[in-house]
Amino acid sequence: MLDTTYRAEIPGGIELEAQVVGPLPRFLAFALDLMIRGVIMIVLSLAMIPFGLVGAGLWFLVFFLVEWFYPVLFEVFARGQTPGKKTLGISVVHDDLTPVTFGSSLVRNLLRVVDFLPLMYLLGLISMICNQRFQRLGDLAAGTLVISVKKTIKPRLLEEVKPLAPAVELNRHEQTAMVDFLHRSSQISAARKQELASILDGVTHAADEDKVLTLQRIGAWYLGVR
Amino acid sequence: MNLDKLQIRATLRSGWQALDLGYLMASRWWLPLMLSAALPGLLLFIPLLVVFFTQPLWAVFIVWWLKPLWERLPLYFASRKIFAEPISLRQVFAEAPALYLRQLLPWLLWRRLSVYRAFDMPVTILEGLSGQQRRQRLQSLHGKYVDTAVSNQLIGFLFEIILCSGLFMVLLFFLPEPLESALYNSAGELALTGQWLYSLCAFIAIFALLPFHAMAGFALYLNRRIELEAWDIEITFRNLARRKQKLASNTTSLLLPLLALSLMVTSSFIPSPAYAVVEHDQASAQQLIEQVLDGEDFGREKTLSKWRFKNPVEEENDKIPQWLIDFIEWLESHFDFFGESTDTSDTPINLADWIKILLIVAFIALLGYLLYRYRVPLTRAAADKTDADLPQVMFGLDVTPESIPRDVPAAVMRLWQNQQPREALGLLYRAALSRLLERHKLAFRASHTEAECATLVKAHGNLGLSDFFNGLTDTWQRLAYGHEVPEADVVDDLCRRWRREMDDAEV
Repeated sequence: MLDTTYRAEIPGGIELEAQVVGPLPRFLAFALDLMIRGVIMIVLSLAMIPFGLVGAGLWFLVFFLVEWFYPVLFEVFARGQTPGKKTLGISVVHDDLTPVTFGSSLVRNLLRVVDFLPLMYLLGLISMICNQRFQRLGDLAAGTLVISVKKTIKPRLLEEVKPLAPAVELNRHEQTAMVDFLHRSSQISAARKQELASILDGVTHAADEDKVLTLQRIGAWYLGVR
Repeated sequence: MNLDKLQIRATLRSGWQALDLGYLMASRWWLPLMLSAALPGLLLFIPLLVVFFTQPLWAVFIVWWLKPLWERLPLYFASRKIFAEPISLRQVFAEAPALYLRQLLPWLLWRRLSVYRAFDMPVTILEGLSGQQRRQRLQSLHGKYVDTAVSNQLIGFLFEIILCSGLFMVLLFFLPEPLESALYNSAGELALTGQWLYSLCAFIAIFALLPFHAMAGFALYLNRRIELEAWDIEITFRNLARRKQKLASNTTSLLLPLLALSLMVTSSFIPSPAYAVVEHDQASAQQLIEQVLDGEDFGREKTLSKWRFKNPVEEENDKIPQWLIDFIEWLESHFDFFGESTDTSDTPINLADWIKILLIVAFIALLGYLLYRYRVPLTRAAADKTDADLPQVMFGLDVTPESIPRDVPAAVMRLWQNQQPREALGLLYRAALSRLLERHKLAFRASHTEAECATLVKAHGNLGLSDFFNGLTDTWQRLAYGHEVPEADVVDDLCRRWRREMDDAEV
């Protein structure tokens, strides 16, 4: 089964899940960061004009620091997110899903030199698309991953649906499916809803016109409406 | 379309996650996908190269322009593959003429530069819609996924450029000098050989990456359909219906035999008392443990081969280390920066030099700070580990040797007679911990529990000591956590045994 989900087991035997992030969003995040760094350096170069050669020297110093430590500092102190990554909703973590530390962030960012070869991060791109977890060489060396940060969506309750206890016991996936059916009712066409509901004829034993509503009511019941 | 056989996990994904899934699909099936696009491409590219022998870039441009065609066979292949239908490249090529002809002109003319191409292509190729129907279908599909579809198209194009130029660059790196100069003419433009090489790189780049952005578009399309048609819900519902059906048929057909079985089962599942009595003696248990540890689960053998010097090179013992020489030479060569350079420069105060000195000072300060900051781990690494790690406090009890009186049993009995049983046993227990830490060098850590400490003492090997400590731990825990005051003779006995195990042992 093809999926972008990455699973890591923590010592207690609990499995954590995360969605790994591929080359396209990561490239966009990188481009955004590049733009931000570019703007900083351009503004600084304008500010350094009055200082002549000393200014140029300072500019190069700042350039060095920004180029190497901009990603490291943001990743360590801003939950693995540079501004570009934050915009795309992605974040750097260790491959056991713990927060990234200074050491591993430094390694993965110093190794950008290798990923850059022969130009414009070609090696990094090749490494990412050959790797099931989309790791570039720096990630492989530092043992890090880029994952997407979940946005929690608050479920909206449909007030008018009266809850109904299901006749059979449902497992976790089935309960989620019932709730999903209720939440996504507005997106799914009426005919498709009817079709989906008739799959469960043997479970609900509802009349044709009640089928959809029965499932929605079960969904509401699982949402805690009483 | 049998959703039960769907090879991708049906779930609601964001547009970006759908693109990532597409890249995963492409890397899983890369070879057949690439071949289904590149073989027909090559069939066209070779004659074109012959025609445009002096302008090979035109040949590769035409192949590039025809990309909407090359994307069709991979799409067809993947659409069968995601439902685990058996499909071979031969079958794909048999479908090729029909697939290529479908809405050929629009895709090659006004839709060629569409920024949604990979996302829209499945509607043409797999659903076969056209005209008004196609427009309506696209309208319902696009929705909030428009920007990710555009990103796929544009960044995909950028990736092609990066790969193409990268390949060309690598070629330049590895070509010997005379050949490299043959790639360019006197004006610095690409000569004919250079153009040929560049065209080949472009051809490789186009078809190596084509599966990725075709699949990313396809995954985006699938994601939208999963969302609109609730594929994930359908799959779960079908499983539920099947489970219910199986349950129903099982209960009717198996009811009678089950009843008969249940009588036997209840009698055979009662554990026999013999289980608890079986005890392994030390030797056979050890053998059993070694047997288990030798098994495959606990390690494997690996044969490594590597190159090694036959005669190890003897290390040269210079009196003065090389780095010191280097450093002094560096100082000499930069010496004027301390004194004379200010004379040669035009500005009265050389700001740059001051900054240089400032930076060096800052660097040394940072080094000093780091040494200071990590002095504990650094010194600990140098010093004996067991001494540095001795805990001061365990379970809230002070276990430093200074806090323990000289004659422990006497102090304990005094407290006991003062009606302070908690203090008395507390003193005895922490004195025992302290002695064990100090004299028996037991590796207690502050994080250990009482039971873990008892286990460590047992592992230490002194049976009498371990027995005493077990008794003490038990009595202390009952008092400390269970508020169960022990009998006077128990405390008496513990004190006597303390003298035997702790005080006598050292004499």
